[in-house]
Amino acid sequence: MRIKLTSLMVENQDAALKFYTEVLRFQKKHEIPVGEYKWLTVVSPEGPNDIELSLEPNVNPAAKAFQQAMFAQGIPLAAFEVSGIENEYDRMTALGVVFTTKPTQAGPVTIAVFSDTCGNLIQLYEPQPTR
Amino acid sequence: MTVELKAPMLLAPDAFRRLCQARDRLQECSYERRSIADIAREAHISPFHFIRRFEALFGFTPHQFRIQSRIERAKLLLACENLSVTEVCMDLGFSSLGSFSELFTRRVGEPPSAYQRRARVLILVPRNFPQTLFPGCLTLMTQLPPNAFRNFREAPGIALV
Repeated sequence: MRIKLTSLMVENQDAALKFYTEVLRFQKKHEIPVGEYKWLTVVSPEGPNDIELSLEPNVNPAAKAFQQAMFAQGIPLAAFEVSGIENEYDRMTALGVVFTTKPTQAGPVTIAVFSDTCGNLIQLYEPQPTR
Repeated sequence: MTVELKAPMLLAPDAFRRLCQARDRLQECSYERRSIADIAREAHISPFHFIRRFEALFGFTPHQFRIQSRIERAKLLLACENLSVTEVCMDLGFSSLGSFSELFTRRVGEPPSAYQRRARVLILVPRNFPQTLFPGCLTLMTQLPPNAFRNFREAPGIALV
């Protein structure tokens, strides 16, 4: 059994593709029409290209309620590892991204949290260098 | 991103909370006649800043969000309740059936009557929606044609780090 796929729900798949490629700099892997939606996945240029993040339409009212509640409580629904979190913060704020937590040390990691404009808070984390 | 924020990129927890509450209010009151300026005032933010921060956080303006909420409620009422299109239209506070149908068709891609017919046919047990009507969390993958992945190139230019 292999972990090759993870999933996030998004308000709008086209807007999500734009944000996740232009701002987060992921690369589109699959975009296959399925009825009125699409099977849309991205991969990281920094990592194995067979681990995909699927961006799913958030249509189910129960799922939407869950996503909105998590957002309002400030709970991120995904976390991505970065190198140089301060640089990422500067780069992304220059692009107009709204952060709810600026880079902050929290135990063994430095974290920051932003809105992906598609219904999710996303966490960035950078492990503290080991001395 | 098309939004250029002159306001700080960092939202204080208090401001964040007020914007989330404003979104909840817009969703609940989607069929009441409350202006965006009223909602902004309740959130103690000037309407100008409210609209820009709301859009930067949620990806759409308060006005767009209100319209989306009404359409979503329309879809739910058309599918779940035993109401006619006219009754749903009135329940949502639209002034005319024509304007409601036009907005619905533009947003959803089919007229409310067609959507209702399709939704009703698929629902055998009230409030038990089949996956084809409400995709999400990997169910779309199950709808792909059998050769979906075979001819797809890998994302270009990626070397294993």
